[in-house]
Amino acid sequence: MSHTPSAPSAGTQPTVVEKVFDFIDERVGLKLFAAKMLNESVPGGSRWAYVFGSILLFIFIMQAVTGVLLMFYYVPTADHAYASTQYILHDVDYGWFLLSYHFWGSTAMVVCVFAHMSQVFLWGAYKKPRELIWLVGLSLFALVMGFGFTGYLLPWDQRAYWATTVGVEIMDKTPLIGDFLARLLKGGATPGQMTLSRFFVIHVMVLPAALIGLAGLHLFLFRCAGPGGPFRGTPVELKAKTDYFFPRQIWKDVVGMAVVFASICALAFWEPVVLLDEATPDPGDYHPEPEWYFLFLFQHLRLKMFSGEFGQFLGAIAFPSLLGALLVALPFIDRDPERNIFKRPIALTLWVMFMVSILIFTVSAIINREFLD
Amino acid sequence: MNDQMSPTKLGFGILWPAFWTGLPIKLALAVLFLAFGIVHFETRIFLAFLMLLASPITVFALPTITLGLESHIGEGAGIAMLFLLAIPIDIWALGVAGRTVFLERLRREPPDGLGLTLWWKCALVGAIFLPLLWVAENAITEASISAAHSIFETGFLVGTPVPERISIELTLWGTVATVALLLLLVIGFSLVGRTIRGTVKSARHAAENYEGLITRWDLMRVPGDQGLMLTALSGVAVVLSLLFWSSLPVFTPHPHDCCKKAEVKVEPAFKPLETLNKDEKVITQLAARVELLIEQQAEAELEKEKSKQKGEEGKEAVKAPEVTEPAPPAVMKP
Repeated sequence: MSHTPSAPSAGTQPTVVEKVFDFIDERVGLKLFAAKMLNESVPGGSRWAYVFGSILLFIFIMQAVTGVLLMFYYVPTADHAYASTQYILHDVDYGWFLLSYHFWGSTAMVVCVFAHMSQVFLWGAYKKPRELIWLVGLSLFALVMGFGFTGYLLPWDQRAYWATTVGVEIMDKTPLIGDFLARLLKGGATPGQMTLSRFFVIHVMVLPAALIGLAGLHLFLFRCAGPGGPFRGTPVELKAKTDYFFPRQIWKDVVGMAVVFASICALAFWEPVVLLDEATPDPGDYHPEPEWYFLFLFQHLRLKMFSGEFGQFLGAIAFPSLLGALLVALPFIDRDPERNIFKRPIALTLWVMFMVSILIFTVSAIINREFLD
Repeated sequence: MNDQMSPTKLGFGILWPAFWTGLPIKLALAVLFLAFGIVHFETRIFLAFLMLLASPITVFALPTITLGLESHIGEGAGIAMLFLLAIPIDIWALGVAGRTVFLERLRREPPDGLGLTLWWKCALVGAIFLPLLWVAENAITEASISAAHSIFETGFLVGTPVPERISIELTLWGTVATVALLLLLVIGFSLVGRTIRGTVKSARHAAENYEGLITRWDLMRVPGDQGLMLTALSGVAVVLSLLFWSSLPVFTPHPHDCCKKAEVKVEPAFKPLETLNKDEKVITQLAARVELLIEQQAEAELEKEKSKQKGEEGKEAVKAPEVTEPAPPAVMKP
């Protein structure tokens, strides 16, 4: 190969990918957008505690993908819902795995929502200037619970039908608007075809649209306020350990997503979805109960102090609503700028009591099954 | 942070990150083995998860717990394979976590072979302590459950409604069992920390200041060839995905009574042209054989005829010398 020292060295030609990137950047400012998104600084360094938000987004995407695939075969009518679900489980190639993954994915979503909210609460990341992020986050939590509630009915077996019936009857206890709410959800006096249609539309259209919008708002507000960072560490330590979102935090997020994905797959193998008998107006020997993340509330309502009409109203509507209102008001009640959880004993004690009581009542509900007959 | 860390903090500080560092790889293998069908977890999937998570400690304790104490986490040869494969993963994870703690918190130079050293020390402590923890925790839990039951057998509590009774009993024995478990875990972490302390004391002090140590650790974690690492990881992900999807059962392993599939043998597809050509070939071959048989038969008959003729000629040849035999000479008489 000849070499002419006097000739200037030719620059390397841009690759096809670089050319496409430049083409788009010239028209929409892609480089600036990518820099803004990826070069966010994470004070105190990237942390595993921050991965739950990204994991939730990943789980939602996987639920959407598996949900769309299931919709190719599922028929949302009272006559065919059960048969089409059984068809997916027994006759569609890998249908059992898709449905089991979708089922366990909803469980993972609830677990990760609790983990994410706990992390935000314990790190005091709901305090000024992040109040709006907290409020939008609470709305997202309500949507996730709505997903679980509406999706549970769709297989139309005894478990699905009666769990929904119990849930709607609980809503009926709301004063003034309870009857209207129950009829709106049921689409009539008793659960039937109208109920299934409404739950299906809410599950596949209304809730996903709402979640996408609110999740976008949540992310936008988070980027405006910036990450709160750890509540401990000297300024020297925090500055020494500052990372950028790419690649450190993204790497941790990807690993977290992989762990959650593998866990859901393992659960789908261990306990694949098996339907009970098709829904009938008579429960027979079946004892209705809701999905596991509502069991603690269900067990509360079995206690003597919540017996009778008024007691049921207190346990099912009043106290949960009060708790919800407290959570909404939390950033405005707790104005102390201190974020270290070990210097906030009331917050720590309340969180521990809340989580422990959920655990105790959920396990109690499982033990209580043996005594139902 | 300094090098006067308590044994409990030291043990926890190394084991906690090491558990979670190795978990993604172990979980990927576990899912693959589930797809292959060589692992079946029973109802104790949560216990199986904990055992796998804590495999630096449980790897030699698991046989004792499974066989000696008769507690199974599942069936299948894959479980043993999983824990064997976890050994190199744990050595690597303990090396990564150990180097972080040594540099960042203890401000000491991590010695060579730190991962292996930490691994065998943790495995040894686990092999001895974990079965003891298992026995102790089981005994305490059973005792507290029976004590909680017996409280409600007394006079004034007999009429307690079932839901209340369940919740109160669970709170009572759950609290005792949880506190006992936490205490035993603290003792365990302390034992691990004491075992590791020798390695810490023999390590040299690091020369840099805090910022220098963090920078060094940062640079140690960045791979030399990032493109190669990304390609390798992507390749591994593709291979694992292909293996997973190719071994995943097509139909559910737990069919409902309504939809159980009958065992049907799949008949091979009928291909008319091929069958015709094959049959024609067979016919041609058979016709050729028939012709050959006919020829052979004809030859055999010819041979038979020939041998018959020869036989007749031979007989005639034998008869002819009797006729031509000369008479005895009469002249020679005196």
